Amino acid sequence: MSITRDLSPAPAPTPPRMSGSMPLSRRLTRARRLAPMHVLLIAVAVVTAFPFYAMVMIAFQPGQAIVLPDSMFPDRLSVAAFEDALNSQNIPQWALNSAIYSVVSVVIVLLLASMAGYAFAKKRFAGREVIFWVFLAMLMIPYHLTIIPQYLIVGGLNGLDTMWGMIAATIANAQAMFLMRQFIYSIPDEMLDAAKIDGAGEFRIYWSIVLPQTKPIMATLGTFVFLWHWNDFLWPMISQQSPENYVLTVGLNTLQEQQVPLATMMAAAVVSFIPTLIIFIVLQRYFVRGVMMSGMK
Amino acid sequence: MAVATGSAPVDQTAQDARQPPTRKRRWWRSKSAIAAYIFIAPYVVFFVVFRILPAIFGIGLSFGEYSLTGALTFVGLDHYARLFADPNFWGALWVTLKYAAIAMPMTVVLSLAIAQLCNRMMRGMAFYRSIFFLPAVTSPVLSGLIFVWIFSESGPINRLLSAVGLEPISWLQDSFWVLPALALVSAWMNFGYNMLILLAGMLAIPQEYYEAAAIDGANGWQRFWRITLPSLRPALFFVLVLETVKSFQTFDTIFVMTGGGPVRASYTLTFMLYDQGFGYFDFGYASAVGVVLLIIALVFSLIQRRLVGRDD
Repeated sequence: MSITRDLSPAPAPTPPRMSGSMPLSRRLTRARRLAPMHVLLIAVAVVTAFPFYAMVMIAFQPGQAIVLPDSMFPDRLSVAAFEDALNSQNIPQWALNSAIYSVVSVVIVLLLASMAGYAFAKKRFAGREVIFWVFLAMLMIPYHLTIIPQYLIVGGLNGLDTMWGMIAATIANAQAMFLMRQFIYSIPDEMLDAAKIDGAGEFRIYWSIVLPQTKPIMATLGTFVFLWHWNDFLWPMISQQSPENYVLTVGLNTLQEQQVPLATMMAAAVVSFIPTLIIFIVLQRYFVRGVMMSGMK
Repeated sequence: MAVATGSAPVDQTAQDARQPPTRKRRWWRSKSAIAAYIFIAPYVVFFVVFRILPAIFGIGLSFGEYSLTGALTFVGLDHYARLFADPNFWGALWVTLKYAAIAMPMTVVLSLAIAQLCNRMMRGMAFYRSIFFLPAVTSPVLSGLIFVWIFSESGPINRLLSAVGLEPISWLQDSFWVLPALALVSAWMNFGYNMLILLAGMLAIPQEYYEAAAIDGANGWQRFWRITLPSLRPALFFVLVLETVKSFQTFDTIFVMTGGGPVRASYTLTFMLYDQGFGYFDFGYASAVGVVLLIIALVFSLIQRRLVGRDD
């Protein structure tokens, strides 16, 4: 909720860096002093990472057993489960659906949110405040209260069990618009005025002046919206009825219900986790910035 | 000073005189305003159709009966009367509060402890922080599936228990242990996100405070209680609110891991809404549950506002 608050990037105070040219004896004392810290941090990291390790380990189990592996450190690894998962009819299709659901949503959300954010930040028009506050107030409504009417409305538009119906319901993202507005607000008016004097039309100003400026916030928002869709479960589950239209999260859950071998299920889980991991590694700094912005007053 | 105030009106009139004649046109009819409406239009349409209408419709549905043919009949407070007489509703409310009372403190304390642990310059810290943040980007469904195995009869936790000579616990099939087990999963999923927020707050605390405290001979524990915690109040408060909201709305992990069981021991209000709505297709009754969720959200945000108001 306070993603909507002031986003003026708080100056991240960088604590004094430890100097590399410390004398050896001091470095040794420092290392000794920090050793218990490292032990503690490693212990927490191992516990945190254990479920991921478990997932990967089970996925590489040989055999079709639904029962669990006996050892935490298997001596035999097999990619049979991955072959099963990738050769199955549904799993690649679900992955494709997840990708379309996420990527198309990201593009539309970023486009619409930046357009609306630009108008709210830089233009005067009747009803601006009222509309803005209505958007803000809607954040108070619990998502689950709206999910049944949303289902009925999408059904009324004949959008159930279709990709566009599933996407359309999720792109009115208020937080995204607020973030955009805050960010565009900080673009100097002089830049827009200069473009206007040069004879640029309204859309051109948005497209070639405003949009390029929003790149950093686009990256942050894009990662968040992507993951939100990639990990989304409840809405895809109730809006898609045919198995070939499932997204990965929904499909994974049905695998569990169908008593598919645990190794195959975990192999599918690994497949669903790979894009998350790649995005996390590549775009980590945008994430961190986004999270920190959300907590700042 | 007097000169300055005296000259201000003069400036004003001078400026008015320089106004271009087009200024007479109402600003909301200006080209710029029309462009603004075009810019917000797609967004507003989606927002009205998929957010505002559902919210109104959702509250309305709780006073009506929706038949699968699409007809809506007004039934007044019938759903609420039925709700308040339904032991499953009171059970779900109790489970929701109990779950929040376990999950919220567990997650916040864990987040705070790990943020404190990470709040220092050390070799490899960036790596540790990345590991801690990884669960926060993992889907709840995926986390749920892995933890079903971790909590299972012969899973690693029970193996650890038998290794130290304790009886294994069937975590997800035991009505006492199921909520703590689910809370543990959400703590694992959420602490990384909170940790970052708290860490940002901790980094903003002036180093001088700690130096002064060190001169006064305060130990680490005292520094944490007397300096870190009080200075961290806004960030901590944000995390508290966030976790409270999340714990009231937990659905995915419960759906994947327990399906509300055993014997409704993890049947929360959000789960009841789903179950009534899409299990029994009783949309009106389910919406009444949704309105209760809305009221709970409003009450908590009022309490929050009261608390913040007093603090500032």
